[in-house]
Parts: sequence; C-alpha cells; structure tokens
Amino acid sequence: MTDLAALLRALSANGVEYILIGGVAGIAHGAARLTQDVDVVYRRTPENLGRVVGCLAPYEPYLRGAPRGLPFRWDAETLKRGLNFTLDTTIGPIDLLGEVTGGGNYEALLDDTVILEAFGVECRGLSLLKLIQVKRAAGRPKDFEAIAELEAIAEERQR
Amino acid sequence: MSDEPTFARDPVIEAYKQDVDRTLIRRNLRMSVEERFMQLMDHQKFAEELRAAGLRALKP
Repeated sequence: MTDLAALLRALSANGVEYILIGGVAGIAHGAARLTQDVDVVYRRTPENLGRVVGCLAPYEPYLRGAPRGLPFRWDAETLKRGLNFTLDTTIGPIDLLGEVTGGGNYEALLDDTVILEAFGVECRGLSLLKLIQVKRAAGRPKDFEAIAELEAIAEERQR
Repeated sequence: MSDEPTFARDPVIEAYKQDVDRTLIRRNLRMSVEERFMQLMDHQKFAEELRAAGLRALKP
C-alpha cells in the first residue's frame, strides 16, 4: 500500500516539482480501478533532482525487484544518469518518470495539469483529457479498460 | 490548461465502455479528491490482507 498522505506531504514540504499521472491521477478524477503504485513525472532540473532525493531519502528508496546488496546509491547523480525509476519505499511503491510515452517530460505536460487538493497540500495531476491521450498513445491492450473508464468519467462529468 | 474532454471515438474503446460500472464513477464523482485517495488506500490494504490470507491458506 502506498501512503499517499505521507508521500504528497513530503513532496510538498520539499518543494518537489512533479505531476501525478497514471492510475492515481485516474483515481483523482474519479476512476474506480485499483492501482498498486504511484506514477510521478518529475522535473529534471539539478535543483529538483536534489529535492526529489532529499524528499524520498527518509523512506529508503530501492530499485523494485532488484536483489538486496546492489551498489545502488540514492543521490542526485544516480537520478541524473537515469530517467525512469521504479522504486520500493517504506511508504510504498513509487515510479519516478522523467518522461512518459505520448506526453513527454515535465515541461511538456505542465500545461495539461490540474491542481489537486488532498491531505492539506496542493499537487499537480495530469488533466483527464491528457491522461486519456497519454494512455491512448501508449497503445497497450492492458490500458483499454482504463481508457474506457476515463472516457466514461469525462462523459459523466458532462452530464 | 484545457480539461475539456474532446476526443475522437475509438470503436474498440467504445466496446470496452459498455462494461464500465458507471454507478461507481458517479459515486466517486460525489467525493473529494482526498476521499478518493483514502478509498484507494483502503482498497489497497484490503487487497494486501486478502493476498496474505491466500498465502496462509496455501501453507501445509
């Protein structure tokens, strides 16, 4: 289980620039589908890499599924050398994405975000329309049901 | 920023849409974002408890 309250408060307290995408963004828009992890597109400026590292360090991030003992260092240099990281933390699984298929990076997505309020903080989430576009662009059959639900949400909101 | 849901209809997605439970969507749309997140965490916890119970049941 991901402790969303702890995660969103920590991201906010550390001033991390990020956008919620994927299943949790769908939940924010009203989706009923269960999701296991949190997908976040983070801004890849040197300052923000440092914020991401400082924010998650207390939660012991480690590469999900990797054997223990690998020489994985949680620091800005590691983030800079990589792009997308699937992490396990003590507050649950988190996917840190530098880019997303069909949407691009943080800067490219920023105009298609909405402000979400929860747990006493504000965060950015991908808009419903962009979420649909990104999932359509990914073209994965496993997303068909999710796309159908997101489009149904859009229709229900217009009723 | 644009959140107007304007998109082309895809016949495959339209077929999947017939099976979407809109009663759940309508209920969720009456909730705040925080309530939706709380509900997600409750469901995740329930799923983890079921998974653990299943594993215990498989043990000889």
